[in-house]
Amino acid sequence: MSGVMVLVEHRRGEIREITWEMLAKAQELSSSLGVEVQAVLIGRGLSGMAQELRPFCHRVLVAEEEGLEAFNSEPYQQVLGRLIEERRPALLMIGHTAQGMDLAPSLAAALDLPLVTDCYEFGLEDGRLWAHRQMYGGKLSAEVSSEAPTKVVTVRTGSFDPEGLREVGGEVEEIKVRLDPFPWKRFLEYVEAPPGEVDITQAEVIVSVGRGIGGPENLGLAEELARALGGVLACSRPVADKKWLPKDRQVGTSGKTVKPKLYIALGISGAFQHIVGMKQSGLILAINKDPKAPIFQVAHYGIVGDLFQVVPALVAKVRERKGG
Amino acid sequence: MDVVVCLKRVPEVAEVDLQVDPTGKRVKTEGLPFVLNDWDSYALEEAVRIKERMGAKVTAVTVGGEEDEEVLRRALALGADQAIRISDPRLQAPDAFAIARVLAQLIKDLPHDLILVGVQAADDGYAQVGPTLAELLGIPHATLVTSLELEGGKARVRRELEAGLEEVLEVELPALFSIQSGINEPRYVSILGIRRVAKKEIKILGLEALGLEPEGVRPKVLLERLFSPPVGEGAEIITGGVEEVAERVAEIFERGGVI
Amino acid sequence: MGLGERYDLYACFQCGKCTGGCPLSLRSPLNVRVLLREVLLAEGPEGVLQRPELWDCTTCATCTLRCPRGLEPSEVIVALRAELVESGRIPKAVIDALEATYVHGNPWGRARQKRADWMGELRVKVLPEGGRAEWLYFVGCAPSYDPRLQPIARVLCGVMEQAGLDFGVLGTKESCCGNEIRRMGEEGLFEELRQQNKEGFRASGVRGVVTTSPHCMNAFRREYELEGLRVLHYTELLAELIAQGRISPRRELRQRVVYHDPCFLGKQNGVFEAPRDVLRGIPGLELLEFSRSRELSLCCEGGGGRMWVEGVGQGPRNSELRVREAEAMGAEVIATACPFCLLNLEDAVKTTGLEDKLQVKDILELLAEALQMEV
Repeated sequence: MSGVMVLVEHRRGEIREITWEMLAKAQELSSSLGVEVQAVLIGRGLSGMAQELRPFCHRVLVAEEEGLEAFNSEPYQQVLGRLIEERRPALLMIGHTAQGMDLAPSLAAALDLPLVTDCYEFGLEDGRLWAHRQMYGGKLSAEVSSEAPTKVVTVRTGSFDPEGLREVGGEVEEIKVRLDPFPWKRFLEYVEAPPGEVDITQAEVIVSVGRGIGGPENLGLAEELARALGGVLACSRPVADKKWLPKDRQVGTSGKTVKPKLYIALGISGAFQHIVGMKQSGLILAINKDPKAPIFQVAHYGIVGDLFQVVPALVAKVRERKGG
Repeated sequence: MDVVVCLKRVPEVAEVDLQVDPTGKRVKTEGLPFVLNDWDSYALEEAVRIKERMGAKVTAVTVGGEEDEEVLRRALALGADQAIRISDPRLQAPDAFAIARVLAQLIKDLPHDLILVGVQAADDGYAQVGPTLAELLGIPHATLVTSLELEGGKARVRRELEAGLEEVLEVELPALFSIQSGINEPRYVSILGIRRVAKKEIKILGLEALGLEPEGVRPKVLLERLFSPPVGEGAEIITGGVEEVAERVAEIFERGGVI
Repeated sequence: MGLGERYDLYACFQCGKCTGGCPLSLRSPLNVRVLLREVLLAEGPEGVLQRPELWDCTTCATCTLRCPRGLEPSEVIVALRAELVESGRIPKAVIDALEATYVHGNPWGRARQKRADWMGELRVKVLPEGGRAEWLYFVGCAPSYDPRLQPIARVLCGVMEQAGLDFGVLGTKESCCGNEIRRMGEEGLFEELRQQNKEGFRASGVRGVVTTSPHCMNAFRREYELEGLRVLHYTELLAELIAQGRISPRRELRQRVVYHDPCFLGKQNGVFEAPRDVLRGIPGLELLEFSRSRELSLCCEGGGGRMWVEGVGQGPRNSELRVREAEAMGAEVIATACPFCLLNLEDAVKTTGLEDKLQVKDILELLAEALQMEV
């Protein structure tokens, strides 16, 4: 087996956090298997990033070419395809992110490799990959396996802790690639979300509503609680999709990441994509009718009940303590 | 313009105690309500809008049993021109690759300018079938599409990245797009509308009709077992009457320095 | 659209009694009189169907009851909604309520598995597995799931048991009665719900159905074609039981109580006396009347899908006007006989800041107090 490969995820000159998380896991796997950690860095103007990565990998494989300025699954697939054929890694790790979701499945199909997506834990034993991933919105987990010589996984963000990264002191290796043109898929530009009136990432107190709020006419209740606590209103994805609140209030992987002192989740089930955006909050209170809602896994305090009963009572008590 | 939209019927599991059956590999589905996968409803609505705007022909496809025809009827009620169900007893517990394989085998012989799928399925959440299918068909793809504009044989799409950022791509047709929720507002499909299409033919095709050997659709990844995720500490659940609970929470807030 | 012929709209002479009695006319652009004329003159449905205020209508049917020509403006509105439903272009809130009902059997989207949780510790016969019974208690969606209303269902069970009635419930097999579903324009879904529930009634072998909600009673009595089955709203049953001496409220309740006639019990089904008889049967209770009572009762804006659709009207809600009226007349309690009225009026007590002055209680809650029952 010749190594654990990690695709470095970067955007606009910065290495994204998922890369360090994957490298930490790769180091763990590689030391127990006695193989190399190889980071694959694809793009343009990469020397700075390569140096950042070098201490933590045995090898940084750098592919710089015209046409690689921004992420595009087409050229990335060409580069990785070649590398995998040449180096035959035991495992290729890609982040389960917008990049990874666009790249990994077609890459795996092109190379006829088994792929397990969105893993939060996995291991290699005697050439066999086992992996755990969530299903049914987090209510169940699945254990899957593959014994193929080379496997691909996409890794859920936040699953591994980069704190554990050790310096293993590696080398940078330049890969020369000749890219076939890919005119059928062209990156044009990035588009930033327009700034909203309220920047929820700056708020100390957030009252966040999910589908359980029922409808936009019930937002007043949540707003009252936010007002009583001096906070702002935010929401989970379904609420923003339905346009009950503007998208700039959305918390989660496709929205904002927040770390307020207090995060109150009203009628939010706690799908992973949402939890990622708020789990670092200081104090988390969740109110939900469903005792099995995954939100109760990350919350510090939970109330299994009807938010339409609890919230008004809570507003009253808060006002009492604040002195009306 | 020929549009193919791939649909999946999934169990609705909010508020439900999911249990694993004795095999340890399947979820007990008796008594569970089933719905069209949420992401797929956006893909279907998008296909119908393209049909309304440009006079496209829409084919709806699903892989599954007779009970899964519900999602095809919905597509027909919305105006899909034809519906196809791929079904074979040898397609037991297919993984994403096997699903993509049978779909590719079907679609390669159908006229297709545009293939729309949902980003992922609410039950397994693989997010894999779309790009796999595109690769097997030899066409380009883009995932997490939040906006789709068609002009002159090309598509201009927006993809959702992280933290509110999006990217814009230009993709040549034929192409496959996995559609993100929120791209449009799916319209309502009435019961009468579904009844009206109850007699419309749904073509059913097995592996032979697709020219596939069972070996060709064996899963690449083995499902070993389903299990309840480790519960961990989780939240301290506050119990009691409404007043009691509110009082306790206010106390916690005060101690936490939030009020 | 053919609605002109179907609803005989050429007979309309634009007197305006419909709009004059419409509870929405003060706060919504909805103008029934004008709508009827437009429906007649419009070549196609487009203009009329674009109006968002079509969803403000509570289907209280005051317009239909007042029309001197016997026309049915409220049915015309339902027919317009039905056209919109077929086109698929309806407000998201309506889509959600209809889809929830299709998938889960209730417009609130709560799991069917949990529909019988209202029983709590109570042992109630579930039909038909639990045997046969004379009466079927049809709980309804809101009382099944809403914690504010669940105790009311339990009280009714306790009262029926005290009275020695042989009754059961459908449990998780109970589906939405469909009254509001039909009024939101989803005729096909209404027919499916009717079929499901009728099968449940048939299998349970009962001779009578009693409901918590006047909406359910209305659907069963007038739109389900239940041959040979007695359909009663619980107030009608209670009035009978009290008159027969099978329940005797003994504990005095010295409360000034004003009764609010629900549209689907009162003006649409003519049940005015039974609830009053029950209240008058409670010793010490001083029964007051709104000036707009009985047929003139002010709609609380809960019917016709309004529990799920906000509506475009501006200005104070009718429920807020109603609670202020109650307070001004010195009432301490507003008594209701409909779950929607209860929820709306209670909300209004909160939004008008009258929590210290006024309470909203279902007649069953008052009766429970008078019977010294634990709720």
